[in-house]
Amino acid sequence: MTKPIVTGRRAVIAGALATPFIWRPARAAQQLVIRTTGGVYDDIMRRSVYDGFTKATGIEVVTAAATMSKLIAMYKAGGAEFDIIDTGDSGLLNLERLGALLPIDYASWKYGNPDEIIKELKFPYRVGSYVYATVSTYNKQAFPDKHPSNWAEFWDIKAFPGPRSLPDMGSGQPPLELALIADGVAPDKLYPIDLDRAFKSLTRIRPAVPKFWDTGALSAQMLSDKEVVLSAVWNGRVQTLIDKGAPLAIEWNQNMIQVQAYGVPKLSSNPKGAQLFVDYASQASAQVGYAKELRYGPSNTKAYAMLPQDLLDIMPGGPKYRDLGFYQKIDWWEDNRDRVTKAWSNWVLG
Amino acid sequence: MPLPRLLAWLLLLPSALLLGLVFLLPLGWFLGNALGELGSGSEILSEALAIAGSRAMQRSMLVTGEISLATTLCCLAIGYPLAFALTRAKGLMFRLVIASVLLPYFTSVIVRTYAWMVLLGRTGVVNNALQAIGVTQGPLSLLYNRGSVILGMTYVLLPYMVLTLFSAMRSVDMRLLQAAAGMGASGARIFLRVFLPLTLHGVIAGSLLVFILAIGFFITPALMGAPEDMMVGMLIERQVEQANNWPVAAVMSLVLLAVTMVVYAVYSRFADIRRANPA
Repeated sequence: MTKPIVTGRRAVIAGALATPFIWRPARAAQQLVIRTTGGVYDDIMRRSVYDGFTKATGIEVVTAAATMSKLIAMYKAGGAEFDIIDTGDSGLLNLERLGALLPIDYASWKYGNPDEIIKELKFPYRVGSYVYATVSTYNKQAFPDKHPSNWAEFWDIKAFPGPRSLPDMGSGQPPLELALIADGVAPDKLYPIDLDRAFKSLTRIRPAVPKFWDTGALSAQMLSDKEVVLSAVWNGRVQTLIDKGAPLAIEWNQNMIQVQAYGVPKLSSNPKGAQLFVDYASQASAQVGYAKELRYGPSNTKAYAMLPQDLLDIMPGGPKYRDLGFYQKIDWWEDNRDRVTKAWSNWVLG
Repeated sequence: MPLPRLLAWLLLLPSALLLGLVFLLPLGWFLGNALGELGSGSEILSEALAIAGSRAMQRSMLVTGEISLATTLCCLAIGYPLAFALTRAKGLMFRLVIASVLLPYFTSVIVRTYAWMVLLGRTGVVNNALQAIGVTQGPLSLLYNRGSVILGMTYVLLPYMVLTLFSAMRSVDMRLLQAAAGMGASGARIFLRVFLPLTLHGVIAGSLLVFILAIGFFITPALMGAPEDMMVGMLIERQVEQANNWPVAAVMSLVLLAVTMVVYAVYSRFADIRRANPA
């Protein structure tokens, strides 16, 4: 069984500084260094993508972890540790705006086909690798008959009592979209986000929130230890618990779809190889493996046809749940990150 | 006999170099760069004052001060009797007590904090035990509040208090206590008029040391606190990791550093370091 996978901006709460310096041997042209979240994620990616890529091209893939602030610091200091960055698309947009990325060379693709990539995941400076979703998750023992079936009911602490959790600012994105939907805003009318309204809505649910989670690990731990009976979490995290037999279930209604993507840093010492990797990793057959293990939806539309139905039933982005959900608009977040951080601090400190 | 001056400086050189190269230099580089992003000249000062005076910073400093003070008082309340017992304990007893003080000291803060989470959770050891013996019906909310933060931090910082107090108490000449008893003083009077004044420098030194360490805490309040228990360290981390706003983080760090230096100045003035920590 796979362990929970970290998709957040931070792997562990205190692990921010633990990135090894990577020694590049003389044959650097035959090696690529990719930024990942580390841990089990690396093993899955190696099995499903890296090994095949090395076999096809002779180029080795080395992984290392780094936080977004470290990547930014590295760029500002002119250091070139990475050839590919595998992270949430908000981080890549941040780097793009700093001028730290090269355009994705779609024209050179020979393994993948740009037309097969989901249109919401294809950008000049980044290309999605998969989608994950923030979903409402409930404890079946706490809600045996009727569970909250949308965010408005999730927010209704009288009709559905019990401690619950939501993402913290530390997770990257506090639940502003969910707060607005709970307050009656339609999912296609969320942006630009009305901060005042969102925080007013959050104030209503706060008495029932003992703790906001800042890492995927904490979100899973609080559910499995019954610290909370209801939570908004990343679907892969909770699926792992369900597979282990935890009495949890997912409500897919109004799921918020988020994107993991690849980008190529300008300072890469092997940009050609990096573009080749992004090309290889974007083909349907290379995505099936990790989609199966991570329970996250592939970015290549053709990959869904290669997945069995029981996996499509627990996977975001595909035919079953795409229409129930909405894409988080990351541009807004990068435009307003400073404002949101400040507003969040003021709100939690009261 | 005091060391010749030159030799003393030579012996200090390696640690001074280390401190300069891995602490002061990067710190200066970071502050210089980050503050430079705020503008030039007087702009920097007014921007920095605005950040330092912001509502979030004020609230967070207050939270930090309250938690640190409470932690210091708890450490003192537990540490003083413990240190005293340690001065009286002998043989196996001494080794057991000193081991139970020191072993946690050598364990990582994260591990120790998670241990408390296992104990205090809704389905944790304490709640299960209380329900099993019928004291409570449902689970109590023992975790994710101000009390659990102070508990966790007291546990982490207690060794600093105990060791400082222990060395202060050990240097007290016990014959003075016997003399006071011989003159007919009661136990309470001996403690208040002789022992406490003689160990007061240890109390001050230990308290300031714990307070200095406490105001920089990050992991324990982040893991065990309620949302509103946001200490300055957490606020700084937010600015670096989430907002990617280094100038703001730099100003906040400077405020924290300034407070630390002030407390340290008091520490070094009122507590004779050589006396408080004999070799």
